[in-house]
Amino acid sequence: MTLPTPVLEGLAPAHAPRPAERLENAVLSGVLALMGVIPVVELLLRATTRGGIHGAAAIVQHLGLAVGMLGSAVAAREHRLLTMSALTGVLGERARRLAGLYANGIAVVVCAVLASAETRFVLAERGAGEVIAYGIPVWWFEALMPAGFALVGWRLLSRVAPALPARFAGLVGALALAFATSSAATLPGPVAWLLAALLALGALVGTPLFAVLAGTAALLFLHAGLPLAAIAVDHYRTVVNASLPAIPLYTLAGYVLAESAAPKRLIEVFDALFGGLRGGATLATVLVCTFFTSFTGASGATVLALGGLVMPLLLAHGYGARPALGLVTAAGLPGTILMPALPLLLYAIVAGVGIKQMFLAGLLPSCLMAAILILFGLRHEPPRRAAAARPDAKRARRALAGAAWELAVPAVALVALASGLATPVESAALTAAYVLIVATLIRRDLSARDLVRILPECGLVVGGILLVMGVALGLTDYLVDAQLPDQVVSWVQGTVTGRVGFLLALNVVLLAAGCLIEIYPAILVLAPLVTQLGAAYGVDPLHLGVVFLANMELGYLTPLVGLNLFFASYRFDKPIAEIFRAVLPLFVALGAGVLVITYLPSLSLALPRLVH
Amino acid sequence: STVHVKLATLAPKGSLYHRVLQQIGAAIQKSEGEGATVQIYTDGSQGGEADVVRRMRIGQLNAAMLSVVGLSEIEPTVSVLQKMPLLFRSTDEIDEVSKALLPQAEKNLLAKGYIAVQWSDAGWVRFFSKTPAATPADLKAGHMFVWSGDPDQVEIMKQLGYHPVVLETADLIPGLQTGLIDSAPLTPMWALATQADSSASYMVDVRWAPIFGAIVFTRAAWDAMSEATHAAVRAAAAQAGPELRAYAARADAEAIAAMEKRGLKITHPSAAQLRAWADFTQQLYPLIRGRTMPAATFDEALRIVNEYRARAPAAGGTR
Ligand code: NA
Ligand code: NA
Repeated sequence: MTLPTPVLEGLAPAHAPRPAERLENAVLSGVLALMGVIPVVELLLRATTRGGIHGAAAIVQHLGLAVGMLGSAVAAREHRLLTMSALTGVLGERARRLAGLYANGIAVVVCAVLASAETRFVLAERGAGEVIAYGIPVWWFEALMPAGFALVGWRLLSRVAPALPARFAGLVGALALAFATSSAATLPGPVAWLLAALLALGALVGTPLFAVLAGTAALLFLHAGLPLAAIAVDHYRTVVNASLPAIPLYTLAGYVLAESAAPKRLIEVFDALFGGLRGGATLATVLVCTFFTSFTGASGATVLALGGLVMPLLLAHGYGARPALGLVTAAGLPGTILMPALPLLLYAIVAGVGIKQMFLAGLLPSCLMAAILILFGLRHEPPRRAAAARPDAKRARRALAGAAWELAVPAVALVALASGLATPVESAALTAAYVLIVATLIRRDLSARDLVRILPECGLVVGGILLVMGVALGLTDYLVDAQLPDQVVSWVQGTVTGRVGFLLALNVVLLAAGCLIEIYPAILVLAPLVTQLGAAYGVDPLHLGVVFLANMELGYLTPLVGLNLFFASYRFDKPIAEIFRAVLPLFVALGAGVLVITYLPSLSLALPRLVH
Repeated sequence: STVHVKLATLAPKGSLYHRVLQQIGAAIQKSEGEGATVQIYTDGSQGGEADVVRRMRIGQLNAAMLSVVGLSEIEPTVSVLQKMPLLFRSTDEIDEVSKALLPQAEKNLLAKGYIAVQWSDAGWVRFFSKTPAATPADLKAGHMFVWSGDPDQVEIMKQLGYHPVVLETADLIPGLQTGLIDSAPLTPMWALATQADSSASYMVDVRWAPIFGAIVFTRAAWDAMSEATHAAVRAAAAQAGPELRAYAARADAEAIAAMEKRGLKITHPSAAQLRAWADFTQQLYPLIRGRTMPAATFDEALRIVNEYRARAPAAGGTR
């Protein structure tokens, strides 16, 4: 999966936004801001008075749905929907254009089918007459789902058929097809297989990931004679999950941090503190990159945002070009399992475990991974640096004072959670608010104009992820409906004996999966099944989650699809093979770390048990 | 046969509830014969009760074992049987109210496209807290868990001067551990299974509210079955009824005993403290009447219980 990062695309925004687009961005930003404001106000009111906002949690959850659909529409507008394929890069100009037409054409068809299925869901819900708060019916928000798919589909169609008449012809075709799926009985096997093959081809040439997953789910549902509206039930229950608003809020905090001057200040702190010591440059690199990844949830993006700052630092300290490249490429990895990283949040939501416990479980394993990276750096530091410059206490004091606000960010998130002052969502909102206030009002790193750019960007990324999440659960739901997990569990139980055997098999399967798919689709598609299997083998769900994530984060460093390899290749202008050679020794060392995490459960469970 | 029943429940695989559903499924298959299928989804694999109701609305599922949490999304009048705290002191009182109200509720359900069989209670919710609490006022100082699926409840507790914190079920135990919440209404069985009592080690021995539920079929699924099958389903359900009720009472008592053994401290309110709970309902009821349940049903339930107590004053009993 390629993450929609503007730096990589290099074209955001490609053009000055038109008035209608500006309005769309403004609405998206407004809803996102409201999601942050309501929990903070609720928290303050609860702490100070007996009041509060009526229906605060339910409102924020449904605003999350709105951000998801609006963000998806903006992502479609900006050509930034998540795709799985890296194949189109090798195609020629003409072939690439054809591939684009085909890929988007498939997605248009899926959007039409989804919009019609979700409309049927909304009509059924409308009759039930549920209310969120203040008399606002639930179905108003639910109606955003089919509307969003219709808009996404229309925008993709406009790329397939730029001329208006052709576009309307496409629209009529798509509507006819959607109607056919709603009235069809059971889809015969051969037809289903043919359509699945067309879909698979689309996945190869760049059909957006959500359309591949939803299309697959739709085919399975139709083949089994199940109502397609079931996809909508799962979409809805995923995006209004009570813990889910933490995702947009922490993402917002991460984006604001990355766009501000915080990276520069933090590197100055760690360089001033440790730069003169043996291994100091490594320590600074690993700590800053890990810290950043824990907020953005994407260690690839960390390579982009920080690579240009930490690479010169390492080279200045006498590191060889290759170990430095390896280190920079992998330095953010421990942040993937360090709170409040997005993968931890997602896994907690998908597996139904407490967010706080998941945070605690990831803490020590994350430290282990960081220690491995630092040891690697120490080994490659030239010995002549050993007795280099004495620590400069004055510079260190100045740097610390200069970055005090930024250094306090993790404390804000942590204290709010651990003190029992805030729910996980409120803590996320508080962190986002704090980061925003520091970046704009206190530091003045970011102007209002910057926010006008950053907020929709963040909404777009969240929308892209929630869209995939929503439909991925539909696929899982088919598996549940067919009672396949039960069958897989009993098959695995008959094949693999014992907990150790199961964990070993899990390591191997996840390592293979990590070569092909990225951590987010893996969590959404594989985690529900792995959770069931883990329960059957008596593996603690928290430990299982950490093993799963640690294993999948290795995938950032492996071909075929390895985000950090791609990002580093782009950032340092080196072929992917060369980056892989540079990172290989680290990959092996981190792999050993994953084995330790797998077979030493107490590393994951000690902290949650201690707090218990 | 055109009978394909897909039935969901939150109950765990292998539990008594699952076994009862399997018996009903066997009755359907025996009566409908070759080709009839019954699939049972346990452990909430189809989602929470609200999700299950949504799936029945669109026809993905056509039967479910639901508590009032899910049933009231279809038919609000059943709310009194679970969502009216401190209304019932015994299962006899539940019987009185359900005998009077359920015939109409079943008619309403039928009009909305659902058939209910086998209504039953499934134990009592009690308050668990981190510090001893004998009266409602004792719970006021700390923060109280309210389930995220119940926004009305949040509002009501706020109006009464409590500090509700809205959480997903998965965050309840961590919330108790960090002190985000100090108390939560739980069934003893759930508390035992999740070890909630290790961080909320006080339980006040007041029956806050019963868990009450039924097995429901969509009308489409029900009409596809023959009259004989209807009779077979009702017979299998009726046979399970006493077993379910006896189990609920026993399981509650056993769970409390097991927790007491590992350190749960049970607060038995004095007569005066019990009056404080009764007074609490005087503040609470005006807020829920007409809001979380229809006013007419609310009044009816209250009238029935009061009349029953006037008739049999000793019936504050133990059953
Ligand atoms: Na991209
Ligand atoms: Na990979």
